[in-house]
Amino acid sequence: MRSSVLLMFVFIFTICVCKASVRAESSPVSEGQPTETPQEEKTPVINKANEDGELKHTVSTGQSDNTREEDTTPAIATQEDEELQHDDVKSEPPLVKDPLQPYNRAIFTFNDKAYHYFIKPIYTGYNSMVPEKARVSVRNFFTNVKMPVRFFNCLFQGEFKGAGTELARFVINSTVGVAGFFDPAKSKFHLERQERDFGQTLAKHKMNSGIYIVWPFIGPSTVRDTAGLAGDAALNPLSWISYFFLTPLEGFGNYSYDTVNDLSIDKGTTYENITKPAIDPYIALQDAYVQNRIKKIKE
Amino acid sequence: MNYRKITSALCIGMLSLAVISPLLWAGEPGKLLMETIDKGFAILKDPSLKGDEKAQERRQKLWEEISPIFNFEEMSKRALGQHWKSRTPEEKKEFVELFTNIMKNAYIGKTDTYSGEKVVIISEKQDKNYATVQTKIITNKRTEVSVDYNMLNNPGRWTIYDVIIEGVSLVNNYRSQFNNILIKSSFKELIQKIKEKKRKEETSTK
Repeated sequence: MRSSVLLMFVFIFTICVCKASVRAESSPVSEGQPTETPQEEKTPVINKANEDGELKHTVSTGQSDNTREEDTTPAIATQEDEELQHDDVKSEPPLVKDPLQPYNRAIFTFNDKAYHYFIKPIYTGYNSMVPEKARVSVRNFFTNVKMPVRFFNCLFQGEFKGAGTELARFVINSTVGVAGFFDPAKSKFHLERQERDFGQTLAKHKMNSGIYIVWPFIGPSTVRDTAGLAGDAALNPLSWISYFFLTPLEGFGNYSYDTVNDLSIDKGTTYENITKPAIDPYIALQDAYVQNRIKKIKE
Repeated sequence: MNYRKITSALCIGMLSLAVISPLLWAGEPGKLLMETIDKGFAILKDPSLKGDEKAQERRQKLWEEISPIFNFEEMSKRALGQHWKSRTPEEKKEFVELFTNIMKNAYIGKTDTYSGEKVVIISEKQDKNYATVQTKIITNKRTEVSVDYNMLNNPGRWTIYDVIIEGVSLVNNYRSQFNNILIKSSFKELIQKIKEKKRKEETSTK
């Protein structure tokens, strides 16, 4: 009895420490914004040179700096600056090199057809059978199982507080959250999931994004993010389980179920939100992918 | 007795302060944005406008409430990038109309699936005539989507010229598409493509 009370105390203490660390972690983030302003106030040329290293490396051409300036500087841009920016855009090379475009477009079309005629019917059927709450729980379960991916990538990126948060989340969700089916770490303890993947780790270690590649079924990627996918697969306990205990078919089933479940909640709508209103869906998806990756690497 | 009254009054005071404080610190652009969003939500929640058969009416009302805050001309200008300057006034006018239509069709239809999402304002940066308002959409599944609004003070009126969803700038996304088309083909062909898309959408909704 006494020991269990002690255990509870230790447990609560760890959570408090983690919460404090999360707060401490979040404050530099908000401080990070003011640091941007002095950068913005410099002339664009210096700005370019001063841009945090990883950005240069995320995108193969200097153009990312142009577009990023457009994102961040309008806050202070005067009318003339604006004209300047438009002039900057003149040299407009794409955000990412895409020498394989004919091949990529073919795969994109295949993926799009596969999505609309094969995968979407599957998940809409699944939707009608399984209530949303259950689907969210399934996602929580898979997310919890894949904790090592986020934990190790936090470590690789030097985010020790993030790693601590992930560890605390895993402990809470695996116990209080009934084997990860619920997410009390977020709802009760406000410990946010740390979205870290190996592609980001590679970017933080100054690897170039490389050319844009579209993979069948997987979708948009770059050379770096493909390497990232392989790294994440190696860190993913699901792949260890499949490798040691399951037949390839069962492993594949596992993976597909996770994917379909994810699509059924919101990924499917995200895909449609990007491609449907687009004039050129291929470019729209490519651009959205690259912009989103830049944001995630910056975080 | 008196003490109790005082403490309860204090409590209520603090509570209400906590509730309205975001409105206090939010500057003009943020306030305007949140007001507009609230107006939009009011329409979506209006029981007399619920249901599929009312969809058209609801969309129309929503568009009337929401569209004034968007600066479609500025959006079109930025979406065309360097190609904007070389356009004639007529071409510009036509393009703005078409681009406005793309936005309307793409995003007003999305509101049909509204199911109690909330918007909270995170921060606001303002520098002279430009401002960025960071918000978060919280869905009923507790997922959070970060949405930033870039706003511009168009003599006396704050208007939105770009929406950035999870780091993806809407204007940049369209600029990539338009640029890619304009590398290979003329402006006329681009207009043709946009019109074709519009026609397809109209036939599919009928």
